[in-house]
Amino acid sequence: MDVMLFAPEITLVLTGLAVLLIGLFIPTDSKKILGYLASIGVLIALLLTVSSLGTEATAFNDTVSIDALSQYFKIVFLVVALLFTIAGIKYTEGNSHTEEFFALGIFGTIGMMFVASANDLMVLFVAFELASLATYALAGFEKQNAKSLEAAMKYFIIGSLSAALMLLGISYVYGATGTTSIPAIAASAGVLASSPMGIVAVVLLVAGFGFKIALVPFHMWAPDTYQGSPSVVSALLAAGSKKMGIVAALKVFVVALIALQAEWQTVFAILAVVTMTYGNVVALKQTSVKRMLAYSSLAQAGYITMAFVVLTPLALGGGIFYALSHGFMKAGAFIATAAVTYMVLSENKDSPDPDHIDNFRGLGKRMPITAVCLTLFVFALAGIPLTAGYMSKFVLFSSTIQSGFVWLAVIAILNSAISLGYYAKIVKYMYFLPTDQEKVSEPFPYTVALIIAAIGVLVIGFWSEPFVYWAMEAAKVLIPGGM
Amino acid sequence: MMPILSMIVLIPLIFAALTLFTKTKEQARVIALTGTVIVLLLTVYMYFNFDSTIADNQFEELIPWVPSLGITYHLGVDGIAMPLILLNAIVLPLLVLFTWNDERKSPNKFYAFILATEGAVIGVFTALDFFLFYVFWELTLIPLFFMVSIWGGPNKHNAAIKFFIYTHVASLVMLLGIFGLYFEAWKLTGTPSLDIPTLIAQFQFIESGIAKDMIFLALLFGFIVKIPSFPFHSWLPDAYTEAPTAGSVLFVMLKIGGYGLFKVMLPMLPFTASPNLMITIMAALGSVSVLYGAFLALSQKDLKRMVAYSSVSHMGYVTLGAAGMVSLSVSGAMFQQFSHGLIMSIMFMSCGIINNATGTRIINDLGGLAQKMPKLAVIMVMTFMASLGLPGLSGFIAEVSVLAGSFVNLPSYVMIALLAIVITAAYHLWALQRAMFGVYNKKLGTVADINTFQTFSMGVIAILILYFGLNPSPVLEMMLTNSDQIVSLMAVMGV
Repeated sequence: MDVMLFAPEITLVLTGLAVLLIGLFIPTDSKKILGYLASIGVLIALLLTVSSLGTEATAFNDTVSIDALSQYFKIVFLVVALLFTIAGIKYTEGNSHTEEFFALGIFGTIGMMFVASANDLMVLFVAFELASLATYALAGFEKQNAKSLEAAMKYFIIGSLSAALMLLGISYVYGATGTTSIPAIAASAGVLASSPMGIVAVVLLVAGFGFKIALVPFHMWAPDTYQGSPSVVSALLAAGSKKMGIVAALKVFVVALIALQAEWQTVFAILAVVTMTYGNVVALKQTSVKRMLAYSSLAQAGYITMAFVVLTPLALGGGIFYALSHGFMKAGAFIATAAVTYMVLSENKDSPDPDHIDNFRGLGKRMPITAVCLTLFVFALAGIPLTAGYMSKFVLFSSTIQSGFVWLAVIAILNSAISLGYYAKIVKYMYFLPTDQEKVSEPFPYTVALIIAAIGVLVIGFWSEPFVYWAMEAAKVLIPGGM
Repeated sequence: MMPILSMIVLIPLIFAALTLFTKTKEQARVIALTGTVIVLLLTVYMYFNFDSTIADNQFEELIPWVPSLGITYHLGVDGIAMPLILLNAIVLPLLVLFTWNDERKSPNKFYAFILATEGAVIGVFTALDFFLFYVFWELTLIPLFFMVSIWGGPNKHNAAIKFFIYTHVASLVMLLGIFGLYFEAWKLTGTPSLDIPTLIAQFQFIESGIAKDMIFLALLFGFIVKIPSFPFHSWLPDAYTEAPTAGSVLFVMLKIGGYGLFKVMLPMLPFTASPNLMITIMAALGSVSVLYGAFLALSQKDLKRMVAYSSVSHMGYVTLGAAGMVSLSVSGAMFQQFSHGLIMSIMFMSCGIINNATGTRIINDLGGLAQKMPKLAVIMVMTFMASLGLPGLSGFIAEVSVLAGSFVNLPSYVMIALLAIVITAAYHLWALQRAMFGVYNKKLGTVADINTFQTFSMGVIAILILYFGLNPSPVLEMMLTNSDQIVSLMAVMGV
């Protein structure tokens, strides 16, 4: 086995350990350096992953595979992790637990990357839990803040429940096929399809993944958790760990359980429609921007779920492409919220709802860069042309029509129109409602993270060809043979 | 060859970005004027190199963009697009001049939005790839949305949101139609393509009649809402009325709905499963719009709202003429788009001036303005006459071609529209008489006439209305070639 295959993961492990270790020996006020260290480590891992694009290999007795799909999702996770670490530099300023913050983020990312590489349900489960445990702790990072603790508790309890369901589902699959290897399960299609255990497994796994991806009705934790967690962590949760759920679900359903397609396809169709509609409608009424973004995140997950229903290479490619775009848009939106929260809290330490939409009043004047970037992110999320969000919706929705699911595409498109209502509300507050407050200086790390995300949104929207191509290559791993 | 189409699309967008960075009103308006004048010069150059005798796309530019999805950067103009580009290129510099002395907050953004709208609208007229077309189509929404919501009237936020959501939903339905066409053609040819001429050519080979009709109706809906036609017009009066004067003029320049009708719908029409039904739908919507818009205009108390409803009425001729399906009616409908753009610009400019000078737009509160504002009165009277269809002015040419042309195939619908002529004359004359003539209403205080810049810009447009009313051929010839081609297609199909 070539150790270089895991160079990005190894880099991250070393970075995470170094951050932890160095953090023990330096005083709080110089811990800022840890954030830079973490960002550099993640950036190197990202570059290593990009440079190894096109590699195909398996390792550890075929339990881990490196292919176009895993490489693609690793890039998604690393991009989100990079935004997380850069924004984290400002967020952790003066915090004595800085090293834990970055180390948890990095270890969580390693877990996500192994989920993307997993070729065996046990590896997938363990990696999933590695990522989940790290994010549970991150959600509760603000120990003094009751909301943060509540967020972590809800996330932890529901996350554990979903892990249990998933594990039970995996055990049924094992019971029916006698193996946990994903290709081997796919090969024993006949056994699964004829066994009642297969159906039970599907039910359990849909519920398990439903919790992780936050599909309605398994979503209850998500708005509270995204709202209560520090905004930078919400970015990691919504943009990173949710994508982990998606890539895992792709591997489990589209590859391993393809024999039971008829059973789970309908379920996903219903879940997709309910999730996108519920997410968008409820988001309309929110006054907390983080909560609004949380519900919009539900809606976006609903769109991506359409790929499971349509199941053509183009649709899967569209779903995968959407995951990348969503990584930039959603992480960017949450980081912009983090910048606003920071501004509000630095003016009034006891502000009860720092992410209340009233605090976005006149942001265009007060924090022009943040406001412009946030405008771009919400317009991209709404699917305005020449942004990443539009290109993704274009591929995903059009592939839905291609395969004859016109009704589903119509519902998705109508939903997309509803979503404009609340996205435009944020823009309206930032630019049209007057404020008498002064301009503030924008925190540098947040600005850097926002600009990186904004460039990503624009580049993917404008110069989509390579990204669409990668996504299509990744989709071919799921359905060999291609279009 | 010079990529002239890219230039007339990109120059306004680049100048829009430049304008954003200006600090003073003086800088902003100079850059805006420079940008629009460059576009005008390039368009005039194009006009003189344009071959009116052929119906094909000219000045074409083609660059692959996202090959794996069949998306290209494909531009070109034909006799449908060229007059509308000309309209925008002429009116926009005059609009900048018209607002030369206005005082308003953030003039840099104001002029940037004017330029951005110009770039987006010309983009729609030149795009020959549906992806690009849709991008520009949606891009027109953003500057206009901001235009209304920043500088609009008291009800601006609601009007802006209503306009945005209403037309965005319509665009999404249109997008569904585009997707349908795209994949049906993909199935037939085996290669993805979003090229507009290619897709229109492939439309006839689609087997399923239901698919054809659904695609056609989805696209039609997108265009009809933008025109807008009854019963999808309700966003228009609010948006037009609440917008600042320049915004209203920009809305008037937004002739993309009618353009789509000629460019996309009519060439596809004979190949739908039920072309006669489609014609009936279009004719009914058109004629009802003409009459209904006129009735609503008659009942308005607010001058600007009256003008907005008269726009619904006038745009009904476009839909009706398109459905008429003879060369005269189709080219008349195209000419109506051009003429309506000129006429409505002055109508909205006049409303803006009256509102600024007197503080009200309520017709009954005005009176005798002609005594204090003689220059405005001359231009307004002429434009109102053009709007009600007086012979010798451009509006007449358009309306008479539509009505006479459509009568051949659609006599009953033309009868409905004819009823509106009386009402149209009534509300125009009645409004003019009450607002401009009679005894001067002393409560209005002292009002000054229009300034030199305003006189110049409105005067030039007024002269054009007269000129094209007497001699429509410079623009009509371009339209005739294309409408002949469309109609001959119909004849071949026996529709």
